[in-house]
Amino acid sequence: MTSDIRSALNRRSILKTAALAGVAQITSPFVITARAADEVKIGFDNPITGVYAALGKNELIGAQLALEQINGKGGILGRKAELLVEDSTSGDAGTAVQKARKLIDRDQVNFLVGNINSALAAAMAGVSYEKGVFHMVPGGHTDPVTGTNCHWNVFRICNTTQMEANAVAGSLIKNAGKKWYYLTPDYAFGHTLQAGLEKAAAKLGGTKLGGDLTPLGTTDFSSYLIKAQSANPDVIIFLQAGDDAVNALKQAVQFGLDKRFHLAGAQQELEVLIGLPPEARTGTWVFEWYWKQPNVPHVEQFVADVRKRSGGHVPTARTWFGFAAIHACALAAEQAKSLEAVKMAKAMQGFKLPPEVALMPDSPFFRESQNQLIPNLFVGNAQAKGSDPEDLFNVTEVAKGIDAAGTLEDTGCKMTWPA
Amino acid sequence: MTQLVLFNVFNGLIVGAFYALMALGLSLILNLSGVINFAHGGFLALGGYLAYMMIPYVGFWGALVFAPFVTAILGLIVERVLIRRVYGRDPLYSLLLTFGLAFMFEDGTRYIWGAQSLPFQVPGWLMAPLSVDYFFLTGYRLFMVLMVAIAVAGLFAILTYTRLGMRIRAGTLDLETVSVLGVNVRILRNLNFGLGIYLAGLAGVLAVGQLGLQPTIGTSLIMPSFVAIIVGGLGSLPGTLLGGLLIGVASGVTTVFFPSATEAVMYIMMAAVLLVRPRGLLGEEGRF
Repeated sequence: MTSDIRSALNRRSILKTAALAGVAQITSPFVITARAADEVKIGFDNPITGVYAALGKNELIGAQLALEQINGKGGILGRKAELLVEDSTSGDAGTAVQKARKLIDRDQVNFLVGNINSALAAAMAGVSYEKGVFHMVPGGHTDPVTGTNCHWNVFRICNTTQMEANAVAGSLIKNAGKKWYYLTPDYAFGHTLQAGLEKAAAKLGGTKLGGDLTPLGTTDFSSYLIKAQSANPDVIIFLQAGDDAVNALKQAVQFGLDKRFHLAGAQQELEVLIGLPPEARTGTWVFEWYWKQPNVPHVEQFVADVRKRSGGHVPTARTWFGFAAIHACALAAEQAKSLEAVKMAKAMQGFKLPPEVALMPDSPFFRESQNQLIPNLFVGNAQAKGSDPEDLFNVTEVAKGIDAAGTLEDTGCKMTWPA
Repeated sequence: MTQLVLFNVFNGLIVGAFYALMALGLSLILNLSGVINFAHGGFLALGGYLAYMMIPYVGFWGALVFAPFVTAILGLIVERVLIRRVYGRDPLYSLLLTFGLAFMFEDGTRYIWGAQSLPFQVPGWLMAPLSVDYFFLTGYRLFMVLMVAIAVAGLFAILTYTRLGMRIRAGTLDLETVSVLGVNVRILRNLNFGLGIYLAGLAGVLAVGQLGLQPTIGTSLIMPSFVAIIVGGLGSLPGTLLGGLLIGVASGVTTVFFPSATEAVMYIMMAAVLLVRPRGLLGEEGRF
């Protein structure tokens, strides 16, 4: 019997196993799907598993809260709204596109929402454009989505990477120094974020001492940190997101790099800071939304509502992205008084989010002919502890989105509309 | 440049030692039972989460002792209830079973502890960097290497000097004869599986000291273990150890010259070994 096992278990089966393990990392274990016949359908194609699962979960919580509020006020155009949720995975564009096609072709969704991963968001935008479906990108930041590859039907809630870079560059040059070393995740988001920072820093006299591209899902950053410290920069820029950011920062602080260099980046998220031990909550960053905004209308109520459905946790920027994305879809239909994608897209040109959705000062709006939301950005420093266990960021400056966004020409967006 | 390469070789040995710890558990189970345990990463993650739960009650050191044991006990139960049923069948059965288990572990941890990374703290004095000028080393990394050395020495001592270890080694060579000689093979496989899972649990507790504690931690760490086994040679525990160290060093040195290929270099190395010496560096010919 044993020899039978041995003969069957040869090197080939081990290799097949290794291949299967590779597949395991890009397949989704389960899919939550809801279906309905006569409802307005919103297809939510976002990560539930993988390195962006925590971010995806928070976007989903925000989306579900928005859906509840919308249905509580009579739905969309008098019809109940329904959220169809698919797991796009965190890094497999093929799966995200396949799920987007399924949502559009089989489920006949009226809106497509997703993705957190920039590369997946861009791939999904290609599908939604081909199919002419109104598409809202909640949290994929890479510039081309509302820049060189912009489409009439694709809108975005989160900032572009260039906006984030512009918001933080001045503060970093002024307070930390001009020589920067970049640790950049090796995919669309990282590439454009680094390019944006290099561009913004160069305008202010900043220089790049070096940089490394780190594969998505890297666990050990020590070899990259060795290179970064040997370059002796003023600032080590971390552009990782999600679990990668937790691993990178935790290890950088263990090596004591926070004592020798300024640690910073163009984007930070509360999910990452919560996952870090207190001593690793350090550095200068941009938050795209923060839950502590005294005197800003509706924020306190939003925080309370989210706490009720997230086990007491406060909303993060991701929760707000999901919340604002679903509300923006509903508002597009209400503005257009139609579910036709072209009419809704036209109705959203220059549209200002109402205060109960905006949840920040200065009324964010969708810039005409780009479809990019222009919100404010929150620049500040991570902190080990604050007034609340999840008050882990000290906002030092609220940067005006319109100043960070540059001109429409800068974005490279040349939008064409269907005849 | 020389200093940078030396730093990375040194650091690669440390990272490789950790890969080896994970791979040894996998290898142990594979050698005796012929099961390619895909769920190994899941047990690793479980070890980390159990330690996280135990720390408020027993502290880091208590968690370091107890969490791998509890993980091993769960491993014994899983072997008794599930894995045992596929022994003697086509290897695809155990592949599919452990493949499914891996998903269940990842989603189970996500369901119980959430998708959010959890802050795992180790004692402050371990967190301090020892020297960044001469060695790029933290107290925790040194501690990890020490723990790996103790675990490896302990494992080889068990295999060499105890009755259980001798039976495992004999079973690895010829389980049928061992069975005929009166050894209870079911118990032997069960204990061997538990021993392998103990190493996974220990690797899990050590890993979360320097990585974020998240449900995907096992999945992201499992591939280097498979590569270490194949490079080192199937059926050889010293080979697995060597394989782990080699891929750690290769990844580290690659960072100096071609950073975005640090993961790819492991697979290139695996392909090269398979082409030149298909049984792996220390694998015995004809074993698998």
